[in-house]
Formats: sequence, C-alpha cells, structure tokens
Amino acid sequence: MKQIQMTKNPPFSLISTKKIIQMSDVWTSYDSKNFALEGINLSIDRGTNYSIVGQSGSGKSTLLKLMNSMMIPSKGIIKIDYITPNMNDKKFKKMMHTIGYIPQNLGLIKNTTILENVLIGSLPRLNKIQSLLKKFPEHEIKEAKRIIQLVGLMGKEYRKIYMLSGGEKRRVAIARALMQKPTILLADEIVSELDHVTAREIMDLIVDAQKRMNLTAIMVHHDMQLALEYANRVAVIKEGRKILEIGVEGDNIVDFQTGDMTTEEIMEMYSDDTKK
Amino acid sequence: MTPKNNIVIGIILALLVVASYNVEVSPVEFVEGLPNLMIVIEEMVAVEPKYIPTALWAMFETIQMAFIGTVIGIAIALPLSLLSARNLNSKFVYAPIRALLAAIRTFPSILWALLFVIMVGSGTFAGVLAITMYTIGFIAKLQYEVIETIDSDPMDAVSSIGVSKVQLISYVVIPESASHLLSQMLYMFDYNIRQTSILGLVGAGGIGFYIINYIKFFEYGKAAIFMLVVLITVLVIDWASVKIRDKYIIKSQHGMEVTTK
Repeated sequence: MKQIQMTKNPPFSLISTKKIIQMSDVWTSYDSKNFALEGINLSIDRGTNYSIVGQSGSGKSTLLKLMNSMMIPSKGIIKIDYITPNMNDKKFKKMMHTIGYIPQNLGLIKNTTILENVLIGSLPRLNKIQSLLKKFPEHEIKEAKRIIQLVGLMGKEYRKIYMLSGGEKRRVAIARALMQKPTILLADEIVSELDHVTAREIMDLIVDAQKRMNLTAIMVHHDMQLALEYANRVAVIKEGRKILEIGVEGDNIVDFQTGDMTTEEIMEMYSDDTKK
Repeated sequence: MTPKNNIVIGIILALLVVASYNVEVSPVEFVEGLPNLMIVIEEMVAVEPKYIPTALWAMFETIQMAFIGTVIGIAIALPLSLLSARNLNSKFVYAPIRALLAAIRTFPSILWALLFVIMVGSGTFAGVLAITMYTIGFIAKLQYEVIETIDSDPMDAVSSIGVSKVQLISYVVIPESASHLLSQMLYMFDYNIRQTSILGLVGAGGIGFYIINYIKFFEYGKAAIFMLVVLITVLVIDWASVKIRDKYIIKSQHGMEVTTK
C-alpha cells in the first residue's frame, strides 16, 4: 500500500473546495512583544454568513484585515481560496478585486457622489485609459445604477456622500462592495452605530445580497444578539483568542466543543467572558 | 510671579538692549524723523489724478503676472506634492523631493526675482518666474501635508480592492484633498498679488517698478496713486476670496447643501 506522508500538525486536515477561508495557528502583532491575535484557527465554508464577535480591542478587526492582506500575520498560515494573502502577489491581487471590504468608518469619498463611490468597485475592470480619463463604460454605469437601486438608494445617484444619513452611507458602502462582483464580503462593525431598526434593515440587505450572489459574508460585530440572529456561524474573540465557535441552524445553536447550547447560555457565556 | 519668570524676563530685556545697540535702534532718531514723514505725506496728498489709468494698467499687469505664476506654480507643485507625501511613497522618493522643496522655500520671492532678473533680464517675465518658484515651494508643502492627513479609511477601503497606485491617487487622494486645494489656490493667488506688487523693486516688473522709481525721484504724489491702487486692489481681493471661500469651501466641508449651477 502506498504510504501517505503527513506532517505532525497538518495545517488543514481536509482539503475541500468547500472551504473558502482557512487559518491555522495565526499570530499577529503590531510590535514584537504584544500580540493582537494569538493562535487563531478558522475554517469558513463558501456561502456562509460568518460573524466574529468580541469587545473592542479583542483583535476582531485585525482578523478581518488578515483576510484581504491589509495585514500580514507574524506567524501561521492563511489561505483565501487556497491562496496566501499577499498584496504583492499577482494571483492574490487579482483575488482582491473580488473581496469587498467595508472598514469601520466605511471609507467613502465624502466629496463625491453615490454613483462615483459605487463605480470605484469596478476600477479593476477598467483599462488604463478609461481609468485615467475617469470614463466608465456604459454597462458599468448601468450596473452601478442597478446596484444602487438594489440597496434602496434609487434616485439618489448624484447626491454627495456628506449629505447622507448613517444608514444611507452604509448602503453606499455595500453597493461599492457589490460592484466588485465579490465572492467574499468583509464588513467591520457595519451596523454598530445604527439604531435597532436601521441595523436590521442593513443586515437584511446584506443577507439578501449574499443569497443572490452566493457570497461568503464575514462580519465583525460587538452585538452578540445580532450575530446570532443573522449568522450561520459565530466565533467569539477575546483578547486575541478564539474562545468559542458556534453554529446556528434555525433556533438550534451548536457549540463545536460542548454540544448543543441555548441562546441564554451563549449570551451568558459571552457576557461573562467579555465584561470581566 | 515666580523667580524663574523674572529670570526669563530679565534675559529677554537684556537681549533687547544688546540687539538694539547692535542694529542702532534709536527712539530719538525716530522722533526727530517724524517731520520728514510729514513732508512726504504732504506731497503724497497732492495726488496727480492723470496717472490713475497708468496705475490701473500697472496693477492689471501685476495681477496677470501673479495669475500666471500661481497657475503654473500649482501645476508643477501638485505632482511634486504627490511624490513627497509619506503615505504614498517610499523614503527614497519623498526625502529628496522634500529637500528640494525646502531649498526652494528658503528664498523669499524677492530673492528669486533678483536671480531671474540676472538670468532673463529685468521685466515682467523675471517676476512671473519668481512667483512660480515661490508658489511651487509653498503649495507643494501645504498640499503634501493635506495628503498625509487624509482619512486612512477610504485609502484602505479602495486599496483593498487591489487598484493601482495611479487609480488610488486619482479616485481617492485627489478628491479627498480637493477642497483644501481650492482654498490654498485662492490664498496663494491673493498672497502672490501682494508679492508681485513689490517685485518691481528689483526690476522684475509690475506696479512696484513704478512705485520705486517715483520714490527714487522724490515724486511722492505719483507714487501715492500707485500705492493707493495696490491698497484698494488687495482689499478687494481679500474680500472676494473670503466670499468665495465661504460659499464654496466652508459649506461643503460642513456638509450643507451647496448651490451650484
């Protein structure tokens, strides 16, 4: 029989095309002494709505930035669709075109219109002359307008960003990400500063887009309740470590270490662990 | 008052006395000279209105010089500012360009004018060149400081799409810094008109050329007309640029509706 040689700790026990994001023993630090993340292991299936929950300073934003090479780990292995994130790698740079990233403050260009902001998502598809002259092809403009309608901002294409409300700005940021024709959507606390109703409107919008475009959405939250409501999977990060990972199927919550749990138990555990 | 403060004040006073002695500051001479000023003012009051058209034309010429110098200076300064922003370039790019800009700024415009008078001869062109140099040095510095303070979020969000550096500059950096640029352009133009008004002192054209010559030949009445025109022009431009800034820049930064046709 042919012997298969295995390393002692294989980074991923199972290679399947189902996995879109894989992290194995990932450590990051801003300086050489303090680690923002300590030994994170993650495995995310294609099409999942994955939430990362934790208090501020827990390292959850860092975790997100690792997924689009905005940060590089100091140790460990990361694979995004089987490619290691690296901005200088042509193969990954091409992948970045289809990773939508919405930073905490959204990163919109304030003095320009909604349409202009959304069109930025199509920049990688433009040739040099088109992008230099800021001449977007007709079909991209049409597509941008379609997406603007999809996120519920129809008729406001030519409004400047600084005139918009918080909820509207988030819709623009989502539209810009969708314009990238993304396979992955990363959103950092996109609904944190919104009221209860608007937050759910925005979340519904993302879940809707996710289903339509078969997206993998990875969202950072600090509200556990919201994460349980929308996500298929929730990872809880505390002080740079993943302390809990749960799956949500309807009303059933499964802890991968301890078995089934109730929402109350999760909430209790979460608040115990984060409020200390 | 603490003893420490007393010592500081004592040192400043001592330095003041020493420096005044060195540069021959003399209050007595100042008071004795006041009657001379009265003579000048008396002659100046006797203005000669027939020189008004010449003065206006000279002022118009000055404004045009300032305009050309400002526009060309800004056109050259902008690419330089992009190259000297620390958040866009490596040290090997921004450090030498910053050094060059710092060198340009060490010369006041009147010294540049002197240099260009030697180079291209006296006249308005030397003045335009001087204003251009001065504008490059200042606008490039002001603008790279603006670029460096741009919010990092739009930069992160757009560069995470994997766009090229040129795209990042034209779709994020320039739009985000544009409103500051507009206000700096106005300020620079305003400032350059004042500068150009005195460049004539070293033969670099403009209204200053008339003023210095009339003063040299003790024709204070004629000089007064030209000085008055400078004064009024500067006041008008000052007022106008405040108005423009209020209307187009302040509002857009505070997120109010901007009415443009």
